Amino acid sequence: MDPFLTILSGLPTTIALSVLALAIGALVGLPLMLARRARILLIRVPARTAIDILRAVPPIVWLFIIFFGLAETGVQLSPFVAAVVGLGAISAGYLAEVYRGGLMAVDKGQWEAGQALGLPTRDTYRYVLAPQAWRAALPAAATYAIGLIKDTAIAYTIGVNEVLFEANHEAQLGTASPLAILAFAGLLYAILSVAVGVASRRLDRRLQLVVAR
Amino acid sequence: MTPAAIWTDWGEYLPTLLEGLLESLELCAASLAVGLPLALALALASAAPLRIVRWGALLLVEAGRALPAVILLQLAYYGLPSIELVLTNFVAGTAALGWITAAYGSEIFRGGIASVPEGQREAALALGVGRFDMYRSVIVPQGTRVALPALLGLAIQIFQATALAFTIGLPELMSAAYDLGNQTFRFLSVLTLAGLLYTAVVIPASFIVRRLELRMGRHLAAELR
Amino acid sequence: MEAAANVVVRLVDVTKRFGEHTVVDGVSAEVCKGEVLAIVGPSGAGKSTLLRCVNLLEQPDEGRITVGGHEVDASRPLARGELAALRRHAGMVFQAFNLFPHMTVLENISFAQTRVLDLSRDEADRRSGELLERVGLADKADVYPLRCSGGQQQRAAIARALALEPQVMLFDEPTSALDPELGLEVLTVMRQLANDGMTMIVVTHEMNFAKNVADEVAVMADAKLIERGSPREVLEQPTHPRTQAFLRAVLER
Repeated sequence: MDPFLTILSGLPTTIALSVLALAIGALVGLPLMLARRARILLIRVPARTAIDILRAVPPIVWLFIIFFGLAETGVQLSPFVAAVVGLGAISAGYLAEVYRGGLMAVDKGQWEAGQALGLPTRDTYRYVLAPQAWRAALPAAATYAIGLIKDTAIAYTIGVNEVLFEANHEAQLGTASPLAILAFAGLLYAILSVAVGVASRRLDRRLQLVVAR
Repeated sequence: MTPAAIWTDWGEYLPTLLEGLLESLELCAASLAVGLPLALALALASAAPLRIVRWGALLLVEAGRALPAVILLQLAYYGLPSIELVLTNFVAGTAALGWITAAYGSEIFRGGIASVPEGQREAALALGVGRFDMYRSVIVPQGTRVALPALLGLAIQIFQATALAFTIGLPELMSAAYDLGNQTFRFLSVLTLAGLLYTAVVIPASFIVRRLELRMGRHLAAELR
Repeated sequence: MEAAANVVVRLVDVTKRFGEHTVVDGVSAEVCKGEVLAIVGPSGAGKSTLLRCVNLLEQPDEGRITVGGHEVDASRPLARGELAALRRHAGMVFQAFNLFPHMTVLENISFAQTRVLDLSRDEADRRSGELLERVGLADKADVYPLRCSGGQQQRAAIARALALEPQVMLFDEPTSALDPELGLEVLTVMRQLANDGMTMIVVTHEMNFAKNVADEVAVMADAKLIERGSPREVLEQPTHPRTQAFLRAVLER
């Protein structure tokens, strides 16, 4: 079969991996960010440590720890699941910081207006700060998403058959020059990145009016 | 589960891993040495009067940012031989990570340069200072100072990216850990130690960068007053 | 003016420090029902901080604060419930308006009514509509704040605070961020509010407002309340040298 088609066949896996990891990160990142801001030391310190370590260790190391390392303790995950868990956890760490940045970007006066009105603190967070915070966080989140798509390429090292895995396979078969194959694979990632970039800029424009900075 | 704790034999593993760490740091240093000057050049080129220069710079920057680091590494090591260019894995790694440094770095420099108040440019021109000198002595130094924290942040990310050189056979930290894991069948133990070594470099470095950012923020505010 | 039942806001020995710097130094004051008190003075004198102590946006280090019968001893740490309870009696209007940009003008005014007063959405909207009429913004109900002029936003902010039926309205330099024309719109609404009998404390640089609308003028300088009296007394025959210096500087411009 045509080598380039084979490489394309890895695309659904790349996309699935990206979407799942991002979803996990987006969901887990929120409580993680809140934990980081908690007043109780016992919650705050582990949360901060977790975020720092998730972001400090290179993704490839995390993937190997989860795939090869956990296997030694009896937990053998499939390559795809290991990659989703690994990239999802890393995403949670990064997105927690993105959310935090979004929250800090909201004008302090918004908080004061809520307090002056006698709004319960929970309501101020939920109805005043959060809607503005996530809109402020969107550009940074989109930038992270683009980085995540590129990071999924690393998953080939633990055997996930996404784009780069197929590309390496074809390169070994010698059906085309490695240069052409790798360039083509690179192009696919580039297209995905650009697509996400364009979508996020459109979304950002539509939300322009809605944040007090 | 075996009764041995995760940190058993770490003393034995440490020397090997530290050698790998040294290799990682060397690759990182080389990539920055190549990439940062290039980044400045690309940033300046993006404002050049000649259209070809501008578009060339744009292409290099966008390509460097759009392609995954793993692919750039493999292109440099496995792909280039197709056009008769054979590089050692260290040189290939430096070329690939250097390109990435240049691509992201140029955006950082551009931001820093743009943040220099227009008044600086106008003052220099009013004094009769030529464009080249204006850039060299007024704009670039100030722009670089603003860009410094972000550039240091980039350097930390490049250090993390050196782990990917594992895929082109460079004996850096990740590679050393994997080989050791294969030999001892204690992947969890070895990889955890490797992870800790990465943490030991990245977290203090990030902390220093944050402190620098804060100090510069105050300094800048004081200047503007 | 001394009848205790008539006093809406009472401050006793309120002190606020930021680090080494004492910003409000042992200030005591009372404001009676229906009274309009203007606080003037040089910048950095602590006027805004004092105002923000009234509704505890700044927690004083010492002193007692009473708003609408709710007394609070500032030297103790305060529970959130206590803070919210006191704040319901005071409405605040900020220099930067601080409207919620992701809600329409109407929603801005209705929102707190549904959450704090527990009104139904329909009831809240009805009352909001009336308030918007009162401040002259009936046609801006479904518009987003950033599409309104500064004067319109500030008037909406006044309506938002009024919606909770506070016993006193606190104004923190309400027109300082506005062009003179737009500022006039806001001052007109404030004058109307005063005529309708609202108790108001206004920190301002607008000397005309202080002279024509306020019942009393207080001067704050160097963290202390140095002078208080009728507008005529304070602005035309000030006794304190600091006040004299300040007024001279104001008139020079």
